[in-house]
Amino acid sequence: MQLIPIALAQPEMVLAREVVRPDNPSGPPICGRGMALSAPLIARLRQMGIKSLIVDGHPVMVEGEESLEIMLDALEHRFSKVTGDPLMDFLKGTFRSILCRSMGEEAP
Amino acid sequence: MSEQREKIREIIKETKSLPTIPGIVGKLNALSNDQKTSIKEMANIVSADQVLSAKMLRLANSPSYGFARISTVSNAMILLGIDVVKSLVLSSSIFEIMENNVMGLWEHSLGAGVAANIIVRRLNLKECEEISTAALLHDIGKVILKLKFEDEYAALGKLVTARQMWFRDAEMELLGTDHAEVGGWLATSWFLPDKLVEPIACHHDVSKSGTHQIRTAVVHVADIMIKAAAFGFSGDPFVPRLQPAAVRVLGLNETILSDIAEELGDRLIDIKNFSLEMQETDG
Ligand SMILES: [Fe+2]
Ligand SMILES: [Fe+2]
Repeated sequence: MQLIPIALAQPEMVLAREVVRPDNPSGPPICGRGMALSAPLIARLRQMGIKSLIVDGHPVMVEGEESLEIMLDALEHRFSKVTGDPLMDFLKGTFRSILCRSMGEEAP
Repeated sequence: MSEQREKIREIIKETKSLPTIPGIVGKLNALSNDQKTSIKEMANIVSADQVLSAKMLRLANSPSYGFARISTVSNAMILLGIDVVKSLVLSSSIFEIMENNVMGLWEHSLGAGVAANIIVRRLNLKECEEISTAALLHDIGKVILKLKFEDEYAALGKLVTARQMWFRDAEMELLGTDHAEVGGWLATSWFLPDKLVEPIACHHDVSKSGTHQIRTAVVHVADIMIKAAAFGFSGDPFVPRLQPAAVRVLGLNETILSDIAEELGDRLIDIKNFSLEMQETDG
């Protein structure tokens, strides 16, 4: 899942969250999660004043953003004081696969 | 070291108010003890402060609380009750201080609120609103240390980096106390109810809590989960160990933990979004 500015939206990206009207956020959504973007749809969303979208996977590499490898190193560092504790090792594994999925990759 | 601890304790006791903690909380306390006061009158008091009520409503609609859209103060009063509104007023005021002084801690607290809600729902525990508040305020001791003991707070940060240690161990070494104890003193001197004081005071030592061990355990786990997810910054990067007392009280196991972690992972982007929106509206 990635939050991207609408300027970086491309056809075939898939919405991970429904999109609501900025002027009526509690109203019915404009499009639901799971919907694939198309060029006309992106144009229409822009017209409605939508500034950002949450899409599946991690389709856009933003400059300055950390790579999966760096993120996994940081995860090891965060858990470094509790290694060997079975529940904590389990938790680390869970967060490792969440991180991998969020970057659009399978867990190693 | 215990000299330093006593000094801090004295100063906290005298800290009856913070710059943005409004007299409104006190007023509401007085009014809710008076049978004749109507909800409408109380709503009027909160609404009179427009900045405060806007902030309060924003927080009520934040992912940390997850209430259905609440658009007015009287709406909030009727739907959520006076106690919840009181705690919302308090948290939004403290949040303002965090937002301006300790941004990373603000995100950490916001995330802990979301995590606590997820835990409560997954385990089918009652009194969700109070849990959000307890989680949002759990590190309030750090806020007060940062505000009242600026130099010591900076020294803590240096010690954490130099020795790669837990913030709390650095606190014990330099101050002879920690932010949990300090937060507990503060919450007590503000007459917050025990169900908030205990989770704040014992979130790093669940076995020390008494009547509110379940709430304390939830906040303890929420803190661990949000640190594991690396959302926000609470003073050090290191994930604390799940305490056996918390595991026992909540009946945690691998399945439950992975359910909670997955749902939290799914919500992080919404919290980030909310946090960005709030910064945009303020800036
Ligand atoms: Fe803490
Ligand atoms: Fe914390």
